[in-house]
Amino acid sequence: MTRVFLSLAVLLGLAGTATAQAPAGVPAMKPPLAAPGAAGVAAKPGEPRTITWEALVPADWDPFKDFKGIDFQMLDDGDPRANEWLKKMRQAWDDAPVNPALVGQVVRIPGFVVPLEDSKEGLKEFLLVPYFGACIHSPPPPANQIIHVLPNPPVKGVRSMDTVWISGKLTTGKTDTYMGASSYRIEATQVAPYKEPAR
Amino acid sequence: MTALLQIAARSAWNRRGTLALVVLSIALATALLIGLERLRNDIRGSFTQSVSGTDLIVGARTGPVQLMLYAVFRVGGATNNISMDGVRAVAAHRAVAWTVPIALGDSHRGHPVLGTTAGYFEHFAYGDRQPLVLAQGRAFSGTLDGLYEAVLGAEVAQRLGYRLGQRITLTHGLRAAGGDAGGELAAEHADKPFTVVGVLARTGTPVDRTVHVSLQAIEAIHLDWAGGAPLPGVSIAAEHARKFSLEPRQVTAALVGLKNRVAVFNVQRFVAEYEAEPLLAVLPGVALDELWAAVGLGERALLAMSGLVALVSLASLVAVVLAGLNERRRELAVLRAVGAGPRHVLALLAAEGALVTLSGAMLGAAAAAGAVLAAGPWVQQRFGITLQATAPTVEQWALFGAVLLAGMLASLVPGWRAYRLSLADGLTPRT
Repeated sequence: MTRVFLSLAVLLGLAGTATAQAPAGVPAMKPPLAAPGAAGVAAKPGEPRTITWEALVPADWDPFKDFKGIDFQMLDDGDPRANEWLKKMRQAWDDAPVNPALVGQVVRIPGFVVPLEDSKEGLKEFLLVPYFGACIHSPPPPANQIIHVLPNPPVKGVRSMDTVWISGKLTTGKTDTYMGASSYRIEATQVAPYKEPAR
Repeated sequence: MTALLQIAARSAWNRRGTLALVVLSIALATALLIGLERLRNDIRGSFTQSVSGTDLIVGARTGPVQLMLYAVFRVGGATNNISMDGVRAVAAHRAVAWTVPIALGDSHRGHPVLGTTAGYFEHFAYGDRQPLVLAQGRAFSGTLDGLYEAVLGAEVAQRLGYRLGQRITLTHGLRAAGGDAGGELAAEHADKPFTVVGVLARTGTPVDRTVHVSLQAIEAIHLDWAGGAPLPGVSIAAEHARKFSLEPRQVTAALVGLKNRVAVFNVQRFVAEYEAEPLLAVLPGVALDELWAAVGLGERALLAMSGLVALVSLASLVAVVLAGLNERRRELAVLRAVGAGPRHVLALLAAEGALVTLSGAMLGAAAAAGAVLAAGPWVQQRFGITLQATAPTVEQWALFGAVLLAGMLASLVPGWRAYRLSLADGLTPRT
């Protein structure tokens, strides 16, 4: 039960930070893969805008809203409601909406590669996630923290969990599917290896 | 400069015996380097081509690489089965578009038998999302009437010479290919023969080596088996098997396709947290990379070894030219006497080295290409690796260039020595 309890605390903690950072482009803390300049720096025209992962979360999205007025402190060990709320929380993360302000923009974002479709010409499809091991650790990142990337042309020499910069137009995937409303998708024109910014 | 090259070529022709040996050793080294690079590239290609369009592979809890090896490559054995209930639970997840259960464990003359559903022919893809295509016949029907129908991979049909309508019997357990030990060793399911109804087109993947039957057929041939042996005194005739419940209760693994690939982590997590039994879900791409990382060490060692071979043959080039300097003393001195400067002598020797390396490297590249063409079908049949006789890859060009560059640098060593030899030294006869 303690485990469930801990996970709940972690999830809620995450929710807290997400809402705190909610205004797009004003990250409250340095993300694991931060752009050298902060997010939201006005890009030169024609150049992709460098964004951070926090910017992908809509400013007005509050995963907390269904849990208003609940005092988690009063939960006893083995309280069946804990599990139920945990599931509900998970659902909220799975259905996390996209940020409409960013959709349609040409962006540049760094992340880790989770390969999906490899061909003779190279990697044709992969998922970009914000932190290392996002596919193995629990819980998985929320829906709006995963980008489905379709590089064109396919990239060679990129392996599982390599760090890359991708740039391209941010769109949303099919709407009638699992991930609630929609999910992010980039038909990347450029995939470049990520280099640690000079400090 | 042209004149100098001509002199270099003629002088080299004069010593063709020794130089031919050097050319040969450089050619062998280049062929080894380029051939290995080709092999490495194509093995990796074959690996990544073997499954496509499948988002997750679900199996009993083991390592991701292990699950990948037995579910896709039919290498090694399954650690455990999973229940059909588990597969149904995964199929019921809201993000899952399709599931294809597979059951392994039987074989036919060394070829693995895969029990599956008709959905396998619809959903399984290889390479660049290429679906399986039937070269002859049709897929097994999956109904009770077509219970004992089998679909062969291209290689099975070719190697065993099977045609449509051929009757085959399956063997309980796995046996190495070619090991036709005979009646005493084989635990044949001889009472329930299968009819070949289809042959798949060649894919260059493990599918070619596989015999496909329905899950119900796998259940049927094991009806009168218990505890790993035929039940003594019990024999259920092939026809009677249809009266029993043939619903599979256990399978080896399941291939899973999603509606939206972004949901892959959620489904993976769902599978990992499935409470009724321990399950594992792997992303094929990630598992393949892991597998490759494990194999990569040996692969790099091979590349390093062929690099050493190249180094040795370049050293032999230096040695031969250096040794030749002694007998060429007169020749070089005569050149000097007719007005060639030390620079010209250096250029002469460097040009000779470059020519020897170039012809060696080209011969080697041609030999590598020829070997790929000649041995390709055999390698494909024996190891299931498709060698492509395509244009050289970037890496191959790089290796070719590296050999050339190293050869030219190496030939500067005797060149430098000749540069330092004085005119008088060559003209003074020694006894």
